[in-house]
This record gives sequence, structure tokens and C-alpha cells, in this order.
Amino acid sequence: MTVKGVGGRLIRKEDDRYMRGRGQFIADVRLAGMKDVAFVRSPVAHAQIRGIDIPDTLRHAVFTAGDTDIKPIRAVSGLAGFKVSEQPPLATGKVRQVGELVAMCLAGTRAEAEDIAAAVSLDLEELPAVSDMLEGRKPGAPLLHESWGDNIFLETLVDADLSATARTAPIRVTREIRTARQSMAPMEGKGVVAYWDSRLEQLTVYSSTQMPHIVRTGLSGCLGLDHGRIRVIAPDVGGGFGYKGILSPEEVCVCWLAIKSGLPVRWIEDRREHLIAGTNCREHHYLITGYADRDGKLLGIDCEATVDSGAYSAYPFSACLEAAQVASILPGPYDFPAYRCKTYSVATNKCPILPYRGVARTGVCFAMELLIDAIAREAGLEPHEVRLKNLVRPEQMPFDNITKKHFDSGDYPECLRRAVAAIDLPAVRDRQKRGEPDGRLIGVGVSIFCEQAAHGTSVYSGWGIPMVPGHEQATARVTPDGGLELRVGIQSHGQGLETTLAQVAHQVLGIDPEKISVVHGDTGYTPYSTGTWGSRCMVMAGGAVTRACQEIARRAARIGAWLMQTDEAKVTVRDGMVVGPSGSVTLGEIAKVWYLRPQDLPNDADPGGLETTAGYKPVRDSGTFSYAAHATVVAVDTEIGAVEILDYVIVEDGGVLVNPMIVDGQVYGGTAQGIGTALYEEMPFDEAGQPLASTFADYLLPGPTEVPELRIIHMETPSPYTEFGVKGIGEGGAIGPPAAIANAVNDALRLLGAELCVSPMTPRRIVDAIAAVKESGARRAAGDAA
Amino acid sequence: MKTISLTVNGKAVTAAVEPRTHLADFLREGQLLTGTHLGCEHGVCGACTLLIDGSPARSCITYAVACDGAEITTIEGLDEDATMRRLRDAFSREHGLQCGYCTPGMLITARDIVTRLPDADDRRVRFELSGNLCRCTGYVGIVRAVRRVIEERQKNGSAARPEAGTTPGTSLGPVGSGHARTMPANGPIKRQMATATTTAPAAEPTRSPSGQAKPGMEIRQSFTVNHPPDRVWAFFDQIDQVAACMPGASLTTPPRDDHVAGKIRIKLGPISADFAGDADIERDAANKRGVIRGGGLDTRSRSSARGEIRYALFEEKGGTATRVEVDVGFTLTGPLAQFSRSGIVNDLASRLTAAFAQNLRVRMDRAAGGSPAEPEPSTEQTAELNAGALVLSVLWARIKSLFGALFRR
Amino acid sequence: MKPAQFDYERPSSVAEALDLLRREDLFVKVLAGGQSLGPMLNLRLVQPDLLVDITGIPELKRAEPDSDGITLGACITNADIEDGRAPDVTGGVLPAIARGIAYRAVRNRGTIGGSLSHADPSADWVSGLAALGAEAIIRGGPQGDSGRRTLPIEDYMVGVFEAALEPGEILEAVRIPRLSARARWGYYKICRKTGEFAHAIGAVLYDPERSVCRAVIGATESTPLVVADAAFLFGDRPSDNLAATYDTAAAARLLDRKGMTDPFERQVHLAALRRAVDRASLQ
Repeated sequence: MTVKGVGGRLIRKEDDRYMRGRGQFIADVRLAGMKDVAFVRSPVAHAQIRGIDIPDTLRHAVFTAGDTDIKPIRAVSGLAGFKVSEQPPLATGKVRQVGELVAMCLAGTRAEAEDIAAAVSLDLEELPAVSDMLEGRKPGAPLLHESWGDNIFLETLVDADLSATARTAPIRVTREIRTARQSMAPMEGKGVVAYWDSRLEQLTVYSSTQMPHIVRTGLSGCLGLDHGRIRVIAPDVGGGFGYKGILSPEEVCVCWLAIKSGLPVRWIEDRREHLIAGTNCREHHYLITGYADRDGKLLGIDCEATVDSGAYSAYPFSACLEAAQVASILPGPYDFPAYRCKTYSVATNKCPILPYRGVARTGVCFAMELLIDAIAREAGLEPHEVRLKNLVRPEQMPFDNITKKHFDSGDYPECLRRAVAAIDLPAVRDRQKRGEPDGRLIGVGVSIFCEQAAHGTSVYSGWGIPMVPGHEQATARVTPDGGLELRVGIQSHGQGLETTLAQVAHQVLGIDPEKISVVHGDTGYTPYSTGTWGSRCMVMAGGAVTRACQEIARRAARIGAWLMQTDEAKVTVRDGMVVGPSGSVTLGEIAKVWYLRPQDLPNDADPGGLETTAGYKPVRDSGTFSYAAHATVVAVDTEIGAVEILDYVIVEDGGVLVNPMIVDGQVYGGTAQGIGTALYEEMPFDEAGQPLASTFADYLLPGPTEVPELRIIHMETPSPYTEFGVKGIGEGGAIGPPAAIANAVNDALRLLGAELCVSPMTPRRIVDAIAAVKESGARRAAGDAA
Repeated sequence: MKTISLTVNGKAVTAAVEPRTHLADFLREGQLLTGTHLGCEHGVCGACTLLIDGSPARSCITYAVACDGAEITTIEGLDEDATMRRLRDAFSREHGLQCGYCTPGMLITARDIVTRLPDADDRRVRFELSGNLCRCTGYVGIVRAVRRVIEERQKNGSAARPEAGTTPGTSLGPVGSGHARTMPANGPIKRQMATATTTAPAAEPTRSPSGQAKPGMEIRQSFTVNHPPDRVWAFFDQIDQVAACMPGASLTTPPRDDHVAGKIRIKLGPISADFAGDADIERDAANKRGVIRGGGLDTRSRSSARGEIRYALFEEKGGTATRVEVDVGFTLTGPLAQFSRSGIVNDLASRLTAAFAQNLRVRMDRAAGGSPAEPEPSTEQTAELNAGALVLSVLWARIKSLFGALFRR
Repeated sequence: MKPAQFDYERPSSVAEALDLLRREDLFVKVLAGGQSLGPMLNLRLVQPDLLVDITGIPELKRAEPDSDGITLGACITNADIEDGRAPDVTGGVLPAIARGIAYRAVRNRGTIGGSLSHADPSADWVSGLAALGAEAIIRGGPQGDSGRRTLPIEDYMVGVFEAALEPGEILEAVRIPRLSARARWGYYKICRKTGEFAHAIGAVLYDPERSVCRAVIGATESTPLVVADAAFLFGDRPSDNLAATYDTAAAARLLDRKGMTDPFERQVHLAALRRAVDRASLQ
């Protein structure tokens, strides 16, 4: 029999509407009288606005900051020393990034709105721009927010005295490592449709968001409207990956205009807007030193990390989350005695950043894993051997690491061993010795990381940002015909939660998932939630659904026992029935009694009936720790700098899997994004702060021929703290690939003496790295000769 | 507006459309067929792929007006299609979709693959799918689903006869053009730029920051003329003469003091930008050097250019000749700038500077009435340089990948 | 991202199209498949007054083979060539090039004439047809509707996005010579991902029965480097085993003349040509 509960590879309930073109995405929402908005955006990165010239005939259709009473977006962190940026949804005074909103134009169609926007001209006095975070850190750099005195949102320090380690460590390796700015690029961009419902006196906002409740809270603040006057609905959302975890200036503006105009107003982000003006991610710089003994045992890590946070602190995650996370998770899955890490979150004249799938983990994994390989080369050891000497061991679990991260469970060394076995390291080493007929160089690389997920109150209250997750809630309601409705405040946009939450409910109540509907993404219907981010939904919403269903089961059991005239203690709920010693009664029959024949109920029936809202937190809310080892074999064409991935293995432990098919999908998809980070994706800027990729021809996403057939091997160590032992798993795929692929490329280039410490590893960078070695070799040779 | 008649999912539709409305917007906004998605609107991502006369095509870069008489089939029109049914089943079983946004376009392409290439192997399937981007699945489930349907068809034979309009035609030429009837403009053709609301008033160009970081591109050229430095220096005082050496440039008002207003037309194939702006000139007579700093705005593209030309004169051949050193640096901002930078920027920009330097030399020689230091370049060459083609090459450097990738088809 | 307003006409004959193209008061742009122009229009980089859609003109959609080669109308699509609906006279060379252009959905509307007239240096046809020794047949001009002139493909592209069309002219067809049975062909395109524009193209044709030895280094950011008599690249002794006598230094000198100085660009362009030579030799 097909398993329909936890562990079942259930076909997704949501597929059919998408495959028939019947999904309803934000751009599909149709309201009578709806108008379109196009924005006038800043063409320059940093400038004083001297004037906005609107032709008289268009004055009625164009709105600037002066026309509105919108309050600025403020995403403040409680971390000591954090400097606050005020982000006016429509620019006032200055513009600080290309694409910043200056005016909004309203018309019957988007094309007409763009015509109007083209007729508005801006008089801008350009200011020197900060286009590089390291330059922006320096004294004397142009200032984005003059009152700060510098461009540093926040500095953090995990301090330790490493001088003794530095004196005595036999191996000391220092690397400068850099990761490129990226665009998250879900296939659907953002968008918003808003109208004022005069019957309910309520602003109804359709938004392509991962967090409708947080958007509502943010809108309430910026518009000065009570929460009760705002309803936010996330329709079908075409991918998020973090990009839609924000209160965007466009959302605020469009809502204001809907109220002002009394008309349904729509803005749909186009791809150019997404690439040049939408939020970015991932731009890190590391100066990192590792100390180790001759056997590769780590003695200490010393790091200075800088994150390019862009011009403003985005709501709700703030400009500091990324860098602060760098400091706390850089040690990765390793156990070592000494750690120092200084971080800077730097304001630059670029769009703000958001936490992209994996958040800072992708960057720190890249830095740490490249460092470990460099140490291995220094020690003359296989890279995985160095890792095995330093990984937290299973018998240490649960384990508090050097930054007080609480690893809940798992066998990290075994994970790595399986990956190394699956990639068949000895075979690759043999192949390297033989050489390739086509002259390419083969390399093998591994990376290993752990992924804190579903971290809750205790972690987020420490950041002090506008959003701190508490108990996650779910409402469960048995319908009169025995079906089940689940209402959750999170949002599903590809994760398949309409299916997996039904599986969880099925596990508790035995109701067929076909008869379970999951309502999500609507503040009007669902309990408050911080939404979908941080790989938290299965743990948190899954836990809440479990609790709610358990309560339904308890109440149904009492009614069922009464109907069977048996003792409540003698019945159990399973397979959609209350089963007693000598018979059973279906939940459908119980529902019929509760709703339609209350005269048949026991006197002590719970007056809450067959509907309940329950809250949930794991036993510990410091997060689950999934972990994975990625191993890959690549071929590098050194003449043209091309990299082909020949084999790719992921050994992943995400705790107990609710739907292994969906988990595989998350891992595959994340890995494809990680391949993009490693080899293709980069949002470059020139010195004036101009973004240099405004189409998918400039910003390269990996396609079907760039992603190889991926192999996944599962381990399944339950979390001791969560319902069913599940762990968050949504982001891991995107964390490991840049490090594994870079290590493989560097392994291939080892004999040439070339090494790359940057992502993406483009053909030019690879060829240049090889050329640099040849050049320095030639110089050395010339020097020797002299 | 133009009136078109076409078949959409088997039904005859007649509608008035603006020529600029692309097929996807026509279907989504006019016909409420929202299953066709827009992911990039520049023909790369494939989300908008649908069938025109039975063959897959991009509806975001196909204008509705060009589809007069064509048969359009969207994802909604393939509900009952036997092959699509198999594909839906396979996509669901292999988890070939997550958020569902790319799915309609992906399924249309998948259907084309399994019907057109019954023997496609894994490699071929991936190659053929490469025009459809998916950000969720890593393509693993999609490729498996397509392979599964190919194998099923190999085992069980292909499905029943597909609906009309869903099999490719055999006529030559762009799909959808087979039925094209003459479509004259109704009424006089307007000059669109004049009517596009009002042209922006003589907007002031984006002002250059003082102490701005160095320009995006910098090139140095030097040449020698057979005239003494004083005469050459006098030439440089004639700013209109100097400006005329810049390909495509002209002054809009006579120079006043050390300030000039002018424009430069940059025409790169079908792209044209008219940068209007002004420049200030600083002259250091004692050292015979000067700087022209200027900036201009193209209101049409909302792009601005900013640059400076530094020149310095050096005595040569005992005072009978002058070596002129010219440094050109400039920065482009706005939409025309926002494409990936290429490695050949300097190469092309130096051709611009070379053109400027060459024109300068020719003019100076003519103005001075003396014999050129080197043979005068052929008229043909000068004309080409004056035509502005080389200025464009600098723009080209910036927008190269756009043209390279999108527009080369 | 919607285009600015433009007007649209779809003439049914070349003569009608030429009439429209002679309008000097308007910015008139020819629309063939629109697969390159469409994105530029959507991005508002190009804002014409009038689009003249030439895909309704039957004489531009003809494919006419004869004993020496084939004449392909300007509106023959890449898919027509890929699928063999337009007969192949090149022993598979043309279909292979066509298959590598962008993506199938784009090839179904993208045309050979549109690509050539768009004159993008990275385009396959600009380099590939130059290597094959093809010619552009141009209609119109001073002699009116029946005026016709022919240019080698390498002269048809005069610069980035600039084709050698005078006002009142249109590209009518492309003439491609038939390759002999002994002909050897190599084509190598360097892209970062499938369907992406080329960063470098190398092409070589050796057809001794017709005394042809041509080579092209393309995707150079300007007009491709076309060598009509490429024997010197093979020590003046080209043979079926082209690789045996291939002279990389001679190719490098071509790049010097082109002014290509960036070491990376030089390396990949030389690699593209050498790999094309290797492919030709392996046949």
C-alpha cells in the first residue's frame, strides 16, 4: 500500500493546476477597472535630486514622494552599534542606488504607464558612488548616509587571542576569498495588486510574497493603517528563494496609490527591474587564516569578513543578518579550539541584499572549505582526511560548537565517507595519473557543511530585527463531510507544502490527503506567521499541524467513544476513524454528529468542536542541523577556461523525511542554484555603481545542459527535538556546490600551481589564474637566471 | 490599432490590437488566457513558449499583429491532448515542477521534443530543453519525465491523432507567417517619437560629481603635426573645430566663454541615442594643456554619458612641430550602460579616440594650410569616422552581450 | 518592459516593401523573424516609427537548389534549415550550424536574412556563411524595385549592427555554394552555456575540387576575420589533414592585424580556429 503519511513519496496535490496553466500567479489576478503602474527609477547610483520634471498634461498620472505621506521603511537591528537607514519608498532628497524609485506612473496598461514614465525627466546632481565594499569601508569614502560618518551598518567581533596559536602552529594558511553579488532570479518576479474594499474598509493586497503576515505588519507601519484594515494574500508564487521575503518599496507605493485612487492598482516587476533594481545577495569578502598541525588538525581560525549590504537595510531581515550570521556559522561542522572573526556590513550604492537560499552559509562554506583544501595541500594530505580529523563526531552529539551553535544530531564523518566512496576517489586519482585524451584536466572536490534551520525565538531575538519567530500556529477544521482544512500562516511556493502538510495530518488522523486542503498565504484566513524562510516550514508548520490534529483527534475520540458507548481510554484514532474494542466510527460520522446532529453528542463533548488552532515550538528552538557532503568530479579545459561537471554526489541527512520525492527536489534545485553560484551567476557593477547585467543574456542562469544528472544518497538521523524527528532541508543544496566545485577545479589545476578563490569561476578567471602562475614562474626563472 | 483574426485554442478570435502588443500580453490581458507566463520578455527564459501553427515559439517577442491568420495553442488548449496528458502524468511522478511558473512553457517544449525527436537520448533532451529555464528543479525531474514519455511512446506507440493546430506545418518561413495577408497601415503612419506624449523638456544632463571616481573607460592617443605649438594651441581655442572632430558631435549654440552646449548622435544599427548636454573647458595656456569636461543625456533611453578629454601639447623638432597627447575618458550610465562589460572595451574605445585624434590632425592641417605630417587619410576613411560608427563601438562594448545573445538570431 | 508605440505594415511583395523602406520621413525598420529585434523593441532600445514585416512576402520564403548551390530567401528560418525543409547542399554543414543557434522556439521564427542584416558579430551565420563563401543578394537601390546586386557575405556586414544596405534596399536572398564530396569543414563555437552567444567562433572550409580554402575567426566584437585564401594558415600546403600543417603563429598574426590584444581573447579565438581545423581533419 502507498504510504500517504510521513515518509510517503506522494504525488503533489498542487501539480495539476500548474500543468494546465490554471495556477493563479500575481500577474494573473484580474480586477475590474485595474490600472497599471510603471516606475521612474534612478538611472544613477548616487545623486542629489534637484528636480523631477513632469509634463503638465501628465501631472495627474504621476506621483512623487511629495504627493504621499508614506513613512520610510526602517529595518533596525538591536545589535549594538547598528546604524539605521531610512528607506523612503519614493526617493526624497537623494537616490542611493540605480533603480531606486523616484516616481510612479499610473495608466490603463503597463505600456502606457511606461510611456508616461519615459516622459518624466529627472534633474540629478550625481555624487561619487561607493561601488566596492572594501573601498566603502575606507575613511574618506563617499558617504551614503551622511549622518553615520562612515558606511558601516554594523561591525561584529567574535574575539579570541590567537597569538599563541599563530606562534606555534606548524601550518598557517591565509587566503583572500571573494564571492560575487548575485541576483536570486525566481522565474516569476515580484508583483503586487491592491485595492481598497470599501465594504470591509480594508486594503486588500495581493502580493507575490513568502511572508504575507510580515508584509501586513510592515505596510501597517509605513501606511499608518491598523492591521485590521489590511489583508495580504499571496496567490500562487513563482519561486522565492528569499527574494520575496521583504516588504518592498513598490508594495508600499502601490498600496498607497490604491487607497488614494480608489482603483485596483497593479505593478508587475519585469526582468530588467528585477536584475537592476531588485535586491541582490551573496557578495562576501574574506581574509581568512587557518592554523593547523602537520596532521591537518585545526588549531584555530582567524577571519575578517566583509559583506556588501547595499544602500538600505531591507525589511524585515535587515542589512546585518548576513554578516552577523557569517561570524556565528563560519566554523561549520568542525570542532577546533580557537576562533576569531570580525565582520563588517558595508553600505554601498547598490540595491539592498536579502538572505538568498542558504543565506551566509554558501559564502562561509566556500571560505572554510577552500581553506581546508589549502591546508590539506600544505600538509600533503587528501582533503577529506583533513576534514575527517576535524569534524564533530557522532558521539559528541548533541554538540555545542565554538560559537554556541547547538548541533542536534547526526554523523558528519560518515556522511563525508559515503560521499568520498560514492565519487570513487581512488578511481579519480588513477584517471588523473593517466591523463585525458582530450587534454583536459580532471579534478575532484568535496565540501561538507551543516545547515541550521527552523531557528526560532532564542536565535532571532538575539538579532533584534523587526521579525522574531515565536510559536508557529495552525488551524485544523474537520468539515461536516469528514474532510479536513488546514490553515497555516506560512506560504508555499514550490516546496509542496499543500501536499506535505496534508501528509503530516494524515499521519495523525488517517484522513486521506485527497480530502485535506491546505489554506496558506492569506492573512484573512490564517494564524499569524513570520512566513516561509530559513527552511522552517516542515519543522514549524508541520509541528503546528501535528499539534492541531492531535487535539482534533482527542476531541473526536471522546465523541467517537460516546457513539460506540465505550470508554474514551479504550479508543484510538487511525485511518480516519475512531477505533474501539468492538467497532469503529469514521471521522465523517463524528463530524456529521458535531455539525448536523448535535443532539447525539456526549454532554462532555469539547465545546471547541472539530476546529482548533494550536501553537508549536520544538523542544529546543535553536534550530535543527541538517548536513550534507557534496563531492564532484570536473574536467577543466585550461585553454578556454571551461569547466564540465562529470559527476556530482550529494550525501544528505535531513532527519526524517516527510516526502522523500519533494526533499530530493529541494536538494536538486538548490544544487543547480549552487552550480550557478560556482560557475555562471554574477551581478557586476562598474565604478559608477551601474549594474552591468540587465537581461538573462548578461546574467546567466544554469540551464539543463549546465546541470548534470545529480546523485543523492540519504542518511536519516532524526532530530531529537522535533515532531517525527524532521529537520529543515530547503536550503542545503545551494550551500555546498560552490565550495565542492572550486575545490575540484583547484584540484585539477594543482599541478599547474594555479588556484582560484573566487566565485563564479568564469573562463576568463580560470585562464587568467593559469596565466598568472606561468608569468610568475617565468619571472622567477628569469630572476634565477639573473 | 490593427484588427487581427486568428484561431486561439481552436476558437476564432477577432480583435483590435496595438502593433506593440506582444502575443503573450494579447492572450493574457485580452483573452484572459493566463497560463502563458512571462519570465523575461526578451526571449531567453522560455516561460512564454506556446504553439504557433503547431510549432513552439516565443510569445514575448512575437507581436500579436504578426499572427494574423495563425493558429495559436496555449497550455490551456492542450488539456485533452493525449501527449500532453502523458507528459503531465510523467512530470508529476518525476517531480518535474515545483513553483509551476516555468511549467506551461516547459511542457510545450517537452511536447515538441517527444513528438519531433522520438529517439532523443538524455543528452539530446537536455540540449532541446535548454531554451526553457527553471529555477526550482535543477531539471532532474523534468529530464526524467521527458525521457519517460519518450520511452513510453517507443514501447506503446505514439498517442492518438493530435488536435488540429498542434502539429507543425511544412511550409517555409517563420511559424505563423504562412497565412499572412497584406496588412497596410490604416491611416497615415505617425512619427512615433513626436507623439509619445511630450518629448522631455531640454532636461539638464545628469551633473558630474566633483572628484568622481575615474571614468569607466580611459584611452590615450598621441600624434604629431607639423606646426609650431602656438598655432596648434590657437586651434584648440576654436572649440567648434575641436568638437567637430568628435564623430557624431555638433554644437547647438555658439560657444560662450569656456562653456559649450552640444549634442552627439550615437547610432548603432537600429539603436540611436541623442545625447544633449554641455561641456566646460579649462585651458592652461602657460603649459599648453587643457581639459574639456562634459556630460549629456539621451532622454529617449534615459541614459547619460559623461566624459572628459585632456589634451597637452609638446614641442618637437625644435619648435617646428607639435606632439599632441589626448586622453579620453568617459562613463555611461542608465539603461544603455546596464549590460555586461566585455573585455574589448578598451580596444574599441581606443578606436574612438583614434578617430578623434585623426580628425583633429586632419582639421588642424587643413586649418593651418600646411602639409600634413603624415599622408592624409583617405576621404572614405574620414567619412566613415565622421559618420559616428566608431562612437557606437564604445556603446557596443557595453551592450555587447545583449546584442550578442538576444539579437543574433 | 513594453515597446514604445510603432506602426506596422505587412506588404505582400518586395516592391511594396521597398516603397515603405524609401520613406525618409520615418524611422522604418524591417521585421523578419523578430527574434533579435523583438527584445530590443521590448527594452525600448529601438524605437522605430514603422515596422515593415516582410514575412508575408512569398518570394522571400523560397529555397531554390541548383547544380552549383542553393538560393535561400531571406525569410527562411533556422528551423527550416535545421530540419532540411530547405534542401541542404553542404553535406550537413548548414543544418548543424542552424541547430546551434539559440533555442528551437527561437529558430522556428528566426530567419537567415534577419540574422545577417542584424549584423551581430557573435551570430553564427555571419561567420559560418562567410566561411562557406556565401553571397548576399540585395534588391532595390538606384535601379528601383528590380535592382539587384550581390556581395560576399563578409562584405555584407560592414560593422557592428551595420549591414551594407542603402536606403531603399532589402536583403532578398543568400546564395550558398554546393560543397563537393571531398570538402572538409570544421566549425567550433565557444559559449559558456547552450544557446548563449558565442565568445569565439572558428570555421574552416577546404574544398580542393573547387580550389577553395577559407577560414574565419568570428565573434570578435566586430566584423569577423575572414580569410578568403587561407592556404598560408597551412604552410601553403593544405591537405585533407589540415591539422598537420596548421600554423598557429600565422593565425596569431591575423589577430595582431585585427588589433586583438587581450591575452584571454586571443587565446580563446585561436583555440576556436585550431579546434575547427582539428574537426575538419577528423572527418
